[in-house]
Amino acid sequence: MNYEMTIGLEVHAELNTATKIYCGCKNSFGAQVNSNCCPICTGMPGTLPTLNEKVVEYAVKMGHALNCKINPVSKQDRKNYFYPDLPKAYQISQFDIPLCENGYLDVMIDEKGNTKRIGVTRIHIEEDAGKLLHDESFAGSLVDFNRCGVPLIEIVSEPDMHSSAEAKAYLETIKSILQYIDISDCKMQEGSIRCDINVSVARPGEPMGTRCEMKNVNTFSGAVRAIEYEAKRQIEVLEAGGEIHQETRRWDDAKGQNFLLRSKEDSHDYRYFPEPDLLTIVIDEEKIKRLKDELPELPNKKCKRYMDSYGLPHFDANLLTENPDKAAFFESCVALKNCKTKSISNWLLGDVSRILNEKNSTLADTSLTPEKLTDMIVLIEAGTISVTAGKTVLDEMIFSDKTPKQVVEEKGLAQISDTGALEAIVQSVMEANPKSIADYKGGKTNVIGFLVGQCMRHSKGQGNPAVLKELIEKKIQNN
Amino acid sequence: MQIDIQHIAKLSRLFIEEEKVEKFQKEMQSIVAMCEKLPPMDGEYTAVDPSNPMRLRQDLVKPSLNREQLLQNAPQTQAGCVVVPKVVE
Amino acid sequence: MELFELTAASLSQKLRKKECSAVEITRSVLGQITKKEEQIGSFVTVCEEQALEKAQQVDKKLATGEPLSPLAGIPIGVKDNICTKDVLTTCASKMLHNFVPPYNATVVEKLHMADAVLIGKCNMDEFAMGSSCENSYFKKTKNPWNPDCVPGGSSGGSAACVSAGEAVLALGSDTGGSIRLPAAYCGVVGLKPTYGSVSRYGLVAFASSLDQIGPLGRSVEDVANLYSIICGCDPMDATSASREYGDFAKELDRSVKGMRIGIPEEYFGDGVEPQVKQAVMVAVDLLVKEGAQTVPVSLPSTDYALSAYYIISSAEASSNLARFDGVKYGYRAEGYQNLMELYEKTRSEGFGDEVKRRIMLGTFVLSSGFYDAYYKRAKQMQQKIAQEYDEAFSRCDIIVTPTSPSPAFKIGERTNDPLKMYAADICTVTVNIAGLPAISVPCGAAQDKMPIGLQMIGPKFSEQTLFNAAGCFENLCGGFGVAPAMKG
Repeated sequence: MNYEMTIGLEVHAELNTATKIYCGCKNSFGAQVNSNCCPICTGMPGTLPTLNEKVVEYAVKMGHALNCKINPVSKQDRKNYFYPDLPKAYQISQFDIPLCENGYLDVMIDEKGNTKRIGVTRIHIEEDAGKLLHDESFAGSLVDFNRCGVPLIEIVSEPDMHSSAEAKAYLETIKSILQYIDISDCKMQEGSIRCDINVSVARPGEPMGTRCEMKNVNTFSGAVRAIEYEAKRQIEVLEAGGEIHQETRRWDDAKGQNFLLRSKEDSHDYRYFPEPDLLTIVIDEEKIKRLKDELPELPNKKCKRYMDSYGLPHFDANLLTENPDKAAFFESCVALKNCKTKSISNWLLGDVSRILNEKNSTLADTSLTPEKLTDMIVLIEAGTISVTAGKTVLDEMIFSDKTPKQVVEEKGLAQISDTGALEAIVQSVMEANPKSIADYKGGKTNVIGFLVGQCMRHSKGQGNPAVLKELIEKKIQNN
Repeated sequence: MQIDIQHIAKLSRLFIEEEKVEKFQKEMQSIVAMCEKLPPMDGEYTAVDPSNPMRLRQDLVKPSLNREQLLQNAPQTQAGCVVVPKVVE
Repeated sequence: MELFELTAASLSQKLRKKECSAVEITRSVLGQITKKEEQIGSFVTVCEEQALEKAQQVDKKLATGEPLSPLAGIPIGVKDNICTKDVLTTCASKMLHNFVPPYNATVVEKLHMADAVLIGKCNMDEFAMGSSCENSYFKKTKNPWNPDCVPGGSSGGSAACVSAGEAVLALGSDTGGSIRLPAAYCGVVGLKPTYGSVSRYGLVAFASSLDQIGPLGRSVEDVANLYSIICGCDPMDATSASREYGDFAKELDRSVKGMRIGIPEEYFGDGVEPQVKQAVMVAVDLLVKEGAQTVPVSLPSTDYALSAYYIISSAEASSNLARFDGVKYGYRAEGYQNLMELYEKTRSEGFGDEVKRRIMLGTFVLSSGFYDAYYKRAKQMQQKIAQEYDEAFSRCDIIVTPTSPSPAFKIGERTNDPLKMYAADICTVTVNIAGLPAISVPCGAAQDKMPIGLQMIGPKFSEQTLFNAAGCFENLCGGFGVAPAMKG
């Protein structure tokens, strides 16, 4: 039997502000336990929250990026529940008037650049909770309050996705936007983006099924596995004649399974009410507009533009726009207009990326400039150096002040295209390989590659292979 | 309005001894009865007051409290953390 | 008269004239504490050493001629729900019996800056929930006018220590009448300031949207002086108002000439004892003779105020007090098997019955399915009450009512009937609901010689008007003082 799945996502992203959302403690990851804390973020009696203006600005930026309506007047609410990592026993969040609502995101769903519009219900601000540490050597659980009060935005989507691939594309687009507008570090391994996933299944044409929520999904690949697992579980229940109950389940990525956390009957009664320690958040229209004007071109739009106006394949466009620095670098190269756009893409995504990965660094860490890269590509396209020599040039100049020309000169990498200089080499190679020539004449024309290779060896890599090939062919013909 | 005192106590993380349930039930009942005197009100209620906007804090780091002082009132600590009974969720 | 009986204003003068030292003042007050504290029980903690140390510092400053604030060297009691760095802050609860804050409340910082002497932490109803000071985990404070009577609550210790000469001034907190009621019962002056005029940072919250710290003293000038020191916008409290304040004691003109005094009939109904009504009306007549005029005003929703108050304050309290769970600070029960038991045992053993009742009421009115019928309706009523006040203040400058329907009652008289206890707040809660300032001043005595309190209510930020009217009345009375039995 055929089923369609429906997916809605709640993405929690930690914002990269300097301080926490309600106090002046440092917002940073990886500090010693309980060292980035004060009486306010640990909920000591009598302390009060004060809202960080950057948190509001960042959330509004994301709201603009996701085409939301920005509420100039909003408020915060308390979500009450007892847990050791929540020192006040309530989380300050937003309930009925979030900062942003009714938006959408166009997500590219295939290689042809087709997009799908996913509705964004709302974006609200809230505080993160602390961390519980478990270890066999402890009699109980230990509480580290460092993460308490780290600012979060929660981005809630409409149930508009119908495959794990769509969900993954949505998550990746959200992540790249967060990075583009520089409001979140998006370090998955540090848990700075997490998501809760709602999944339901139904037979085509039938109304949406009962949904189950999965918590604790910390990676995008985990999200794909969790969705597939949950849809399969629900289909199996239905196929066996059972019914789906609305419940919350916990995803265990290591086991690749989810487990019942609580049924609807046991669901928390959060007793939301307006936070009396904080007043109304009012953002003036001018500021809302300014934050919109400050937005850069977003990666999903940029990717589409690269495909449409540069004629790049989806694969290239997607990778080039993955992070804003890379895209900006690429566009500076293109703007110099001295070499092929596709060549720039090939080099950036190929050897440049390889080196950056090996050195675990970013473009900003290198001495590479758009001028240097395109100058090198121009040398290749003009036949002055070979592609192989180009790689050497890149290796030499990427972390130094040297220009491509300097490297070529120092290392003597210039290609020999002068037929006179290459004639002798071709002559001697042909004399040494009479069998290959016979083979060629007998129809095995692919031996030409071997012969060119031999010539290259003799020229110590400096012969222009195209010129060499031409010379060899001419010589055989004239023989 | 009949109050489910045990349910409310559970939500409040309070434990009411059997012999006190009746007393609390009776008292709560009379307090809630008093509260029920409120008439239904016309008009929308909105919890926001744009005429009194909130000052926002600048995103400037202030020193945190040292850990010793932070935990000086904690009933049980270990390895720089407060200790609770083992939890799994 | 002994030093402990004098007002801050006259003590301050004596200090400047070198007629006494700050240490002598503090010793005089500590001496009175030694004599009377066992009988009255105003304090949870007496800070003898720190107080003397501070007094010595003031004397040094005096000797070097440094300019001093009007409160320099004045012994002040601070309610035990206001955080004092390195000094026990218990909220009169077993839950916080051992809590030593690593920080000061903003008002305490301001007292230190003004060189006031923190003499002790005042007893109160547990977490400020109560009208009699009988809900303290530690002791029941007695009324200095008659130790068989309650001092009123919840700031019972703050009012009692001022009335008993165990402090010259005190800070209390007022959520539904908790400064004004004990001020009335103990025959002292108490101000509940406009919501947002005094920082709440460091005040252990009962109901955040209603709580306000305020001063108690034996003269209007002293109260105005203390208010001038503690008010002001605080970046640590988002609900504190962005505005400038003057010097209320300097501006005190004690004139009611041309002042329109609103008399709301709803506050002079059957629930109010005739002797209280009479005392208040006599006071009003005196003010009229001084040039004021009376205007009848109406506050028709007053009957609903108590319901709205208990819903809103309990809802907020249920959330504010959820943090007391035996994990981070304060009491932790023994013999728990798991986290849920740790929570339930700690909270059941750590909180008294009145606190539990309010937590449960608050949890109930916020719980799924009941929010609209209770909490939302109460918030709507709050807006209506505020509008009625706005309307009334379009026709008068201040409103005068009794502070309480009756004078102080006997200890134990109302402990078994929460509703009867709650009725003591009937005249005071609307002020908190509307965020207004109000002052209670003594206005005569009941048949049993216990003091009666008169409440003056003004529009937001009209404290100066209230001080002037109260000051005028104070002059007509010939001033107030320590309770008769407490005189030296």
